[in-house]
Amino acid sequence: MTTPPLSSANVGADSQSITAAPPVLVALAGQPNVGKTTVFNLLTGMNQHVGNWPGKTVERKEGTFTHHDTVYRLVDLPGTYSLTANSAEEVVAREFIIREQPDVVVAVVDAATLERSLYLVAELLPLPAPVIVALNMIDVAKQEGVSIEPDVLAAALGVPVVPMVATRNIGIRTMLDTIEYLVGGDAVYTPKIPQIRADHQEVLEAIEKIIDHCVPDPYPQEWVALKLLEGDEEVTKMMRACLNAPQWDAVYDILRAHDDALVAVASGRYEWIGRMIRAAVTRPRAGQIGLTERIDRWAAHPFWGLLILAGILGLTFWLTYAIGTPFQEALDAYVVSGLARLATAALSGAPLWLQGLVVDGAIGGVGAVLTFLPILVIFFAVMGVLEDMGYMARAAYVMDGFMHVMGLHGKSFLPLFIGFGCNVPAVLGTRVIESRRARLLTILLTPLIPCTARLAVLAFLAPAFFGRAAMVVSWGLILLALAVLALSGALINKVFFRGDRAAFIMELPLYHVPNWRTIGLLVWQRSISFVKKAGTLILVVSIIIWVLSTLPGGDIESSYLAAIGQFLEPVGRLAGLDWRLIVALLTSFIAKENTIASLGVIFGAGTGSGLLETLAETFSPATGLSFLVVQMLFVPCVATVAVIKQETDSWRWTLFNLGFLLLISWSAGVAVYWLARLFGL
Amino acid sequence: MLNNLLVLLQTGGTHRVADLARELDTTPEMVEAMLESLERMGKLQPVERTCGGACGTCSLAGLCAAGNNNRVWTLVE
Repeated sequence: MTTPPLSSANVGADSQSITAAPPVLVALAGQPNVGKTTVFNLLTGMNQHVGNWPGKTVERKEGTFTHHDTVYRLVDLPGTYSLTANSAEEVVAREFIIREQPDVVVAVVDAATLERSLYLVAELLPLPAPVIVALNMIDVAKQEGVSIEPDVLAAALGVPVVPMVATRNIGIRTMLDTIEYLVGGDAVYTPKIPQIRADHQEVLEAIEKIIDHCVPDPYPQEWVALKLLEGDEEVTKMMRACLNAPQWDAVYDILRAHDDALVAVASGRYEWIGRMIRAAVTRPRAGQIGLTERIDRWAAHPFWGLLILAGILGLTFWLTYAIGTPFQEALDAYVVSGLARLATAALSGAPLWLQGLVVDGAIGGVGAVLTFLPILVIFFAVMGVLEDMGYMARAAYVMDGFMHVMGLHGKSFLPLFIGFGCNVPAVLGTRVIESRRARLLTILLTPLIPCTARLAVLAFLAPAFFGRAAMVVSWGLILLALAVLALSGALINKVFFRGDRAAFIMELPLYHVPNWRTIGLLVWQRSISFVKKAGTLILVVSIIIWVLSTLPGGDIESSYLAAIGQFLEPVGRLAGLDWRLIVALLTSFIAKENTIASLGVIFGAGTGSGLLETLAETFSPATGLSFLVVQMLFVPCVATVAVIKQETDSWRWTLFNLGFLLLISWSAGVAVYWLARLFGL
Repeated sequence: MLNNLLVLLQTGGTHRVADLARELDTTPEMVEAMLESLERMGKLQPVERTCGGACGTCSLAGLCAAGNNNRVWTLVE
């Protein structure tokens, strides 16, 4: 069937008699975000009213319009993906079509995502109302290189198809003429209705035979049989009430024997959609898609993909140390030290405690963290580029392949991998694990994965202890984290999953040439957000640290802070850590970057030399290495601990986890410290 | 077609949408549409990777958002 010409001459000579007839009832159906509301508003303008569907909290929108002297009543059905009773919206939409039997149902579909949109059309066609397909957003489809032939699609569907761009009022008039033509009675309407998958055809017929003459009006018998096979709760309830006991038992036996029928019904619809798409839609395989496939042959390859990922990681650290660290040192030497000198001079007449608070507390703590900014900007920029060009999703994909080889179960791997970004979503991500014990163990191991905040602190501190070897040390520590991840995951797999292979499906975006403006904006926003937070939370922590380091007598060595650190020092000493490093680790519980703020306060901004220089002069590389290892495996930040409590729903497990992490990090620190000493570091 | 997709997924392991499309001799868009249907049927579960607001106070929250803009599903057992 083709659409009629736009000319009004074909409308019919008796338009006056049509005017006197009751309004033509038109229903607008469509999935969410296909432009249905735009069409509705365009047609009804001010003549619309909004209420609720009877007995439901679903919004009902209705309006009227006139076309060629005929009055139309337009009902905007709720946006739904299908017409199975999964939601109140779906029940409302299908009940309206079945009970009210509108003169026409206009199915608005998104031309750019026709594969998705046609599913609803497949469900609308068996219902007792003629359907017109409004092929909306045809301009977007064209921009994306999707070519659709409306006439071919109309022939394949057996229903009229109207291409349109509702936002620009293109195609609306043709749609109205098509409605008029269909309602006029001259049109031949022969929709090609999707069939259930061939191997279930007999099952459908068997159910139809049992329910024959028992289906209440106006429900179509075949539709009811299909919905029974789909396990539709509403239809099942209705038919259970209508059938006598032997009939219901016979239906129930069939349904029980074919519990996969839901897939068979949907499969039939997708085979039908596949035919429609093959007939009328052409998607170019060249250009961006071809490029993505070519790049992914390497980037998503099980071996080369890993090498590329390792290279990108190395490049990130190289950029950090080549560009970020010199900037950081310059900021420290000129800006922070300069500010400290200025503040000291300005406060020369002020009480000593005020000088200490401003110079050592505020400038020392926040200043140290702000010198962190050049390193973060590089992290933000690299992440931004990789994210914008579509690479980041591949990192998870190639790592997942590698972890499978290592024997790690996918359901544990994915949350653990997310942990490299942030431990909080990683803990939440364990919800995909059905087994409570396996989930608990994965949650408890998640904090062992160094999040980006820990990696950024590592990037900041490694040059202080290792100078030019910082990159190698950073690499080694990341390998250590991966080894911990692989070992812990393999353990979970062996104990809880017994080698089952979980199925994951990943949608990998197409590669794009990075948009520098987008990346610049992203880096700017994230940097500003960091600076703002450094000016609030970190300032508060810095001041608390300073107060504790000053009271009671003004001497840091006899301060409360020193007392706390010295209390733990006998344990820390085994890992080469003195009380100052212990205190810096403890403050990382609030947020990881507080480690740097604390070191800034403790080692003072007013000492004349930069923080990294002071650290390098104060501590041996063995102590530095031990400190970085402990920092990588130490208890997570307070936000992660809160989520662990929420997800395990147990204080006992949360506290156990903290104790376990303290033990692991301390043991690793001791081992690394003594090994490093053995090698003369 | 949908049952062939399910059979492929039941073999386990991690699948890319593009690979599934190639194996089923269809388009990635078609596979995505089918995956969404399977999700609505309860056969697939989307893997959430957001922090649900818990990261609000983290000054480095922007970093962890990277790489989370693609969808991931897991097969419900």
